[in-house]
Amino acid sequence: MDARLDLDIGLDRKGPRRAVESFEQFALENDLPMDLVFKFQLALDELLTNVVSYAFDDDASDAVISLGFRVTDASLEAVLVDNGRPFNPLRDAPVPDLDLSAEDRQVGGLGIHLTKAFIHALTYERVDGWNRLNLMQPLGTHQEDQT
Amino acid sequence: MNVKTSYSGSTAVAVVDGRVDSANAKDFDEELSAIIDRGVSSLVVDCGGLNYISSAGLRVLLIAIRKTNEAGGGLALCSVPDHIREVLEVSGFVRLTKVFATAEEATASF
Repeated sequence: MDARLDLDIGLDRKGPRRAVESFEQFALENDLPMDLVFKFQLALDELLTNVVSYAFDDDASDAVISLGFRVTDASLEAVLVDNGRPFNPLRDAPVPDLDLSAEDRQVGGLGIHLTKAFIHALTYERVDGWNRLNLMQPLGTHQEDQT
Repeated sequence: MNVKTSYSGSTAVAVVDGRVDSANAKDFDEELSAIIDRGVSSLVVDCGGLNYISSAGLRVLLIAIRKTNEAGGGLALCSVPDHIREVLEVSGFVRLTKVFATAEEATASF
């Protein structure tokens, strides 16, 4: 199996939802397990929402956000690239204190916290003015070997 | 996302279905705020039909937890699907609110 999906994401607030819905359709066509689909949807939603909300000025006309998927027998991969401000969510997002009471809790950083918890391998690099996030989950027997 | 609410004095059960994400978290916030503004201090959020929630939705729940706590009641969840429960556990929300099997149990906990 070697299936791909490439998406261009708009800068509007509904962009992340449209992207995860397109991914869901792609995932169903390729028989990916629902638990994995849900976790990828959540992670991509959180990462994309960050990019759409913070990476660009509101009037940015040259903003490019693209999301590519590749599923093979061995793995599911997603690559999110944008030409916005440099931001490494794995390093720069605030780390939530989960022990605080409801009154003292901050929600900032929770999306990235969930993303890190739900995605097997997550990497960031800044290349030639582009942010590039790579998400990878082994499939099948590879998954059992590595979890 | 849809919210259907039944009221009993200062207690209410809000049945949420569909998905809550950054695109509609504001609507979800308005729904829960309207319920609390009607004088509800003890709120059960029935998640039986909820198939997706992101951190934007968790933020709304956190606000509702604070408001109901301040009102002397609280917020409880029930009928939470396994994958949503995992989100609640990883985000530490199971420490902020109680999770029950049924709306009846959740209502009786107040």
